[in-house]
Formats: sequence, structure tokens, C-alpha cells
Amino acid sequence: MDESELIKGIQQGDHRSFQTLVDTYQRKVVNTCLVIVHNTADAEDLAQDVFLEIFRTAGNFRGEARLSTWLYRIATNRSLNHIRNKKRKGFFQSLEETFTGGKNRNSEISENGDDQPDHRITDRQRSDLLHRAIDHLPEKQRVAFTLNKYEELPYQQIAEIMEISLASVESLIHRAKKNLQEQLYECYRKKCV
Amino acid sequence: MKCKTLHKDLIFYLDNELPIEKRKEIERHLEMCADCRNFYSFLQAEMQIIGKEKNPEPSPFFFTRLSARIDERPDFRQQSLWNRVAQPAFFSLILIAGIYGGLRFGSHASSGAIHQTSSSSVQLLNDFESEPIESFLLDQ
Repeated sequence: MDESELIKGIQQGDHRSFQTLVDTYQRKVVNTCLVIVHNTADAEDLAQDVFLEIFRTAGNFRGEARLSTWLYRIATNRSLNHIRNKKRKGFFQSLEETFTGGKNRNSEISENGDDQPDHRITDRQRSDLLHRAIDHLPEKQRVAFTLNKYEELPYQQIAEIMEISLASVESLIHRAKKNLQEQLYECYRKKCV
Repeated sequence: MKCKTLHKDLIFYLDNELPIEKRKEIERHLEMCADCRNFYSFLQAEMQIIGKEKNPEPSPFFFTRLSARIDERPDFRQQSLWNRVAQPAFFSLILIAGIYGGLRFGSHASSGAIHQTSSSSVQLLNDFESEPIESFLLDQ
């Protein structure tokens, strides 16, 4: 079943077409969300929201872009909104903790880290460090970098997803790599893991 | 090549994005400088994490949960049919009924108006006849 048939089926409310769409793109959509939010449960919830949006608005799909481009666009936008909302909530939570004298979450995490007897750098620690470095990138650099590195998308498709020029994508990814390297070097120098 | 210069380009070296001359320069520096070699290993290990995190195993209940969410909101299922057929048909019916009703009411109202005008004119004439002022004055 090709993309146009799939969309036509979903527009007509065909359950099987929708299941085919989910089976085909589930892994990609969950992965895209996961790379941005770094939490499997949140990523799956977001991916479900993406498919629900597709189901609800399939009638608006005009076929000008590829179906995967449309899916990636919704997935990145929803994930970024999720991060923004989380940051906002975190800000108010930290304000609340300041006034109520609550324990800081970050300090709990670092305390737990010190309890570990093995000080070798594990994959988990490396992964956390990389995620932190990626999270520090400006939003557009982060999206372009993750789509290119994790999803292995070509620059042209990233340009279509982000609705920017090809030259902008090249520049964003170049700057993202430089920034990432700088942050990782700082960490290496300070032996933060 | 200085260590600082190497640190700027190492990630591009890893991604094989540098011209051959620059690559050779970096390789020569890495052979001589232990600290840069360590950083290279560190960076390489970090970037390899990306490969390990790619394509996580999909949840087996993903579609089941998604279907349940769709069923929870029946408007999701009915919306497409409602949008495509029932909604335009419903509004078309309302429009046709409105036009028909308007025409009926209009024709009824205009015939009623003619009837009213004629009756009022008759009434005026009748008033004139029922109040013969001149004859009243003549009587006095």
C-alpha cells in the first residue's frame, strides 16, 4: 500500500490503513520523540498523540510533502512543546521548593550517583552526558542534529520538516556539532563523568 | 597543528567530513599527543552512544493503547464520516428549508398585505359613510 492509498484509507476512516501507518512509522516516531525528551514513557505518549493527530486531521493532508515528513514535523513540534511545558513546570516547582524548603531534585540525583561503587564510565553515564550536551544546544540545532544523527535523514528532508532552506540545515548541523564538541571537551577537561 | 585547533575539528574528523590533507594532519597530531588521543577516544565513545540508542524496541501494546484512546473519544471515529457526508448534507438541508420557508412566508405575507390594504380602504370608505358630517350639520 503506497502513501496516497494509506492516507485515502485513513481519510475514509479505514482502521486497517491506520494500523498499517502506525506499524510502519511507530519506531521512527517514538525514536524522534525519545531523542528529544529522553524518557521512554513520555516518548510513547507523545508518539500516540502524533498518530491521533494524524487520524484526526488526515483530511487536511494535501500530499505536497511526504507522509514521513509530516509525521516527523508533528513529532518534533510536540516533543519540543513537551520540553517547554516541562521547563515551565520545573521553574514553578523550583520556586515552590525555594519557598517551602523542599529538597532539590538535582541534588538527589547527584547523591544517588555518588553511591555507585563502580566509577568506570558506563554506557548509561555516557548517554546521560550526551543527552545533557544535546539538551544544551539551541532548539533548531538540536532538532536538525538529532534528525540527521539518530534518524539518518538527508539534509533535504530535514529542510522540508523544519521548513527552512538546505543551506540553513547545513549551517545548523555544523554549529550543532561544534557546540556539542565544545561541551564534551569541557566535560572531558573537568572530568565530569 | 595545535591541540586547540584539533579540538575544533575532531568531531568532523570522526564523521569523515574533512579533506584528506586535514585528516592526515590530525592523525599525525594524535600520534604525538597523548591528551588529544584520550579526548579523541572519549569523543568517539560518546558519539558511538548515538548508534546504540537508535531504533529502540517498539512497545508491543502501542497500537492497542492507541486504539483504546481512539475508542475513548468516539468523536475521533465519527468525525471523518460526519465531516465528509453528514455535516454538508445537514447544513444543505437547513439552507434549502430556510429558502423554501422564506419563499412561502414571503408569498403569504404579500397576499396578506394586499388583502389588508383593500380591507382598510373599504373600512375608510365605510367610515366616511358611517359618519356623514355634512348630513349631520344639515340636520342641525
